[in-house]
Amino acid sequence: MATLLWLQGGACSGNTMSFLNAEEPSACDLVTDFGIDVLWHPSLGMDMGENVQRMLREITAGERELDIFVFEGTVIMGPGGSGRFNMFADRPMKDWVAELAAQANAVVALGDCACWGGIPANAPNPTDSIGLQFLKRDHGGFLGAGFKSKWGLPVVNIPGCPCHPDWVTQILVAIASGRAGDIALDDLQRPQTFFKTFTQTGCTRNQFFEYKQSTMDFGQGTRTGCLFYEFGCRGPMTHSSCNRILWNRQSSKTRAGMPCIGCTEPEFPFYDLAPGTVFKTQKIGGSIPKDVPEGTDHVTYMAHAAAARVASPQWSKEDIFVV
Amino acid sequence: MATAAPMRISPLGRVEGDLDLKLEVTDGVVTDAWTEASMFRGFEIILKGKDPQAGLIVTPRICGICGGSHLYKACYALDTAWQTHVPRNATLVRNIAQACETLQSIPRWFYALFAIDLTNKNYANLPEYDEVVRRFAPFVGTGYEKGVTLSGKPVEVYAIFGGQWPHSSFMVPGGVMCGPNLADVTRSIAILDYWKREWLEKEWLGCSIDRYLELKTWDDLWKWADENDSQRNSDLALTLRFSRAAGLDKYGQGCGNFIATGTYFEPSLYEHPTIDGRNAALINRSGIYDGAEFHDFDHLNVRESTAHSFFKGDTYLHPWDGKTEPIDPADGHKQGKYSWAKSPRYEVPGKGPLPLEAGPLARQVIAGREGAADHQDYDPLILDAIKSEGASVLVRVMARMHEACKYYKLVEKWLGELDLHEPFYAKPAELESGKGFGSTEAARGALSDWIVIEDGKIENYQVVTPTAWNIGPQDGNQVHGPMEQAFIGSPIADPADPVEMGHVARSYDSCLVCTVHAYDGKTGRELSRFRIGEGA
Repeated sequence: MATLLWLQGGACSGNTMSFLNAEEPSACDLVTDFGIDVLWHPSLGMDMGENVQRMLREITAGERELDIFVFEGTVIMGPGGSGRFNMFADRPMKDWVAELAAQANAVVALGDCACWGGIPANAPNPTDSIGLQFLKRDHGGFLGAGFKSKWGLPVVNIPGCPCHPDWVTQILVAIASGRAGDIALDDLQRPQTFFKTFTQTGCTRNQFFEYKQSTMDFGQGTRTGCLFYEFGCRGPMTHSSCNRILWNRQSSKTRAGMPCIGCTEPEFPFYDLAPGTVFKTQKIGGSIPKDVPEGTDHVTYMAHAAAARVASPQWSKEDIFVV
Repeated sequence: MATAAPMRISPLGRVEGDLDLKLEVTDGVVTDAWTEASMFRGFEIILKGKDPQAGLIVTPRICGICGGSHLYKACYALDTAWQTHVPRNATLVRNIAQACETLQSIPRWFYALFAIDLTNKNYANLPEYDEVVRRFAPFVGTGYEKGVTLSGKPVEVYAIFGGQWPHSSFMVPGGVMCGPNLADVTRSIAILDYWKREWLEKEWLGCSIDRYLELKTWDDLWKWADENDSQRNSDLALTLRFSRAAGLDKYGQGCGNFIATGTYFEPSLYEHPTIDGRNAALINRSGIYDGAEFHDFDHLNVRESTAHSFFKGDTYLHPWDGKTEPIDPADGHKQGKYSWAKSPRYEVPGKGPLPLEAGPLARQVIAGREGAADHQDYDPLILDAIKSEGASVLVRVMARMHEACKYYKLVEKWLGELDLHEPFYAKPAELESGKGFGSTEAARGALSDWIVIEDGKIENYQVVTPTAWNIGPQDGNQVHGPMEQAFIGSPIADPADPVEMGHVARSYDSCLVCTVHAYDGKTGRELSRFRIGEGA
């Protein structure tokens, strides 16, 4: 039995909605089969009002054990550091978060907003939003770089906008079943089991990437090619398992013809959505991609690309995802 | 019975987001109400100066529950601003995706957000209470588990076309990003068929959807619910009987005025989306009902008031001219402001500004208007309910659930109409300037964007959500918003557990976590320090 409290700060509830798409285990299975005792969730909680406040106060006073504190959404600091842009149960939400995190055995940040600020922290960050332990790539965030939960863990970041339901359920099961120590985190505190690979890993367009063949149009144009060259796809630079563990058990954005927008990385949304950057590959000198696959550089990338184009077979220039 | 005890329900939960509700309660009845949206995220400020297409990425993140609806209307705002050509297939795919999001929301909202309140101990003495608990108890109820888990199926279809749900951005000006193949279509048909069979027909209806769709009046529905054992034992019939026994047909009426901006386009009538051509191309119609008469919807009649909202000044502007300049709520309170929601109002010809209820009830009232074109939905059932017994929590819930069969049939039809050999996208010219309006019906109501593009970037972007329509505060004339009006007059049997307020708030499915504070109407004291019922 593990107790779980789930709160939302500057959030859209997207991670909750994503979570509810889970199967094996489903949200209900977590409760009935895996013994997770949901103390409260803003969308799913049975209690309201005074009952919830009493439970929150019991936790913050250390009178009630909290195993897993899940936070979705940004920590809103504005205006002027007061937190009054986001009141919850009569107090700035940030004050609840500070007290609850201090009592929790494990703290999980769900989604980009809770991990590093996400869309609300996009310039000009009108709410002064930050993540639990990061703001963009800067370590620290709301709880501070040195924060450790009672079990000695830093905040476990499960990013994505939203995060995939399996990323959440598997980590919750791991924590609830006493395997928190097996969760190896990367330098952004993401579970490596989901975030060591790239979004590109398993993408059905990989053969076109290999031969540098571009998709030339959306819609019917996505029956062939790779979205990296013209449409700003960030699959080779983004860490996720979107093409290993499919979305809604069916597909992924890149499979369906939508470029990866890098939503598991702290810089999302990239280039601050400046004019000319949305769904368009940023280029140097009109032809060289500004962002090249992780670990390469422009010179080696271009040399490789030139050779790959020479080697490209005829089929790689034709439609492959045909009717 | 104590006369008015100050009450505080904070937080209320299950309405998504953050909402404080302050109530004045006198003799066990709510006599005044103030809805206070307690969170600000500033998306309209973030969008200013950004790429014109930034709304396709940013606005779905306003609400993860209806993110696909945000994408749909953000895309049409750009289609109208850039004067695009949208191929027939693209319109169909957008319709399919939007409808699948709503099909997902219907059972998920019903079981996870609404029905669990029916298991409240206040109702323990009602007939069939044990059965209601067995089915609707959170996480473990048989209906809850099936309804919530199967609610993920329709959005599997969304993922087939859009890559994922929630938060895809696969709709773009000029069409959609996907180029679906045969198996994408056949799998979609099979998934939806499974969902229909396993949840909609087996659990919810106890009959075929075609049998259900024969119902034309509110009375028909009640007769249907007692027609045979299968229908009598359905979750729908149980909900009808139990809600009536619990009195949910007696309160939560609301303002009595409705807005639908409509959704889903007939592909042949919207290949070149324009604002002027929008109403005629809609399948689910737009319109205004002021309690007596219908009016055509015209977006130019929409205004937003900031009289009681935490924004600078007391403005009353059309969204193209709208401003989003937040102030510290501590200062706002001193100016009589109390919410982060603006107050949308509609200038009804001859009647002036009215607050309007948005949502499934509004859609189905408009669906009952005579004069639908051949491609448009005409359905008198819910309007009949309004005319025969008035709006209520129960009628609002039934309007929501009523849409499941209708949208299922539409999606089935649209899937059949896709021509995989024809285009799904026509590359648009990215105009340097323009104005756009895009709108749809999210599961919970009218959702609209107004965009102004200048010099290749966003000059102004304003979003009006169904939640703002419903939970917005008083306007400059001190007229309450629709949900505030719905609370007023509602009973509170047990202020320690004001489940009635939960029913009202959740019947609107506003996307805010609702926190309730109730105050004694006579003394002004806060109710939570007292217990109504312990006194005289």
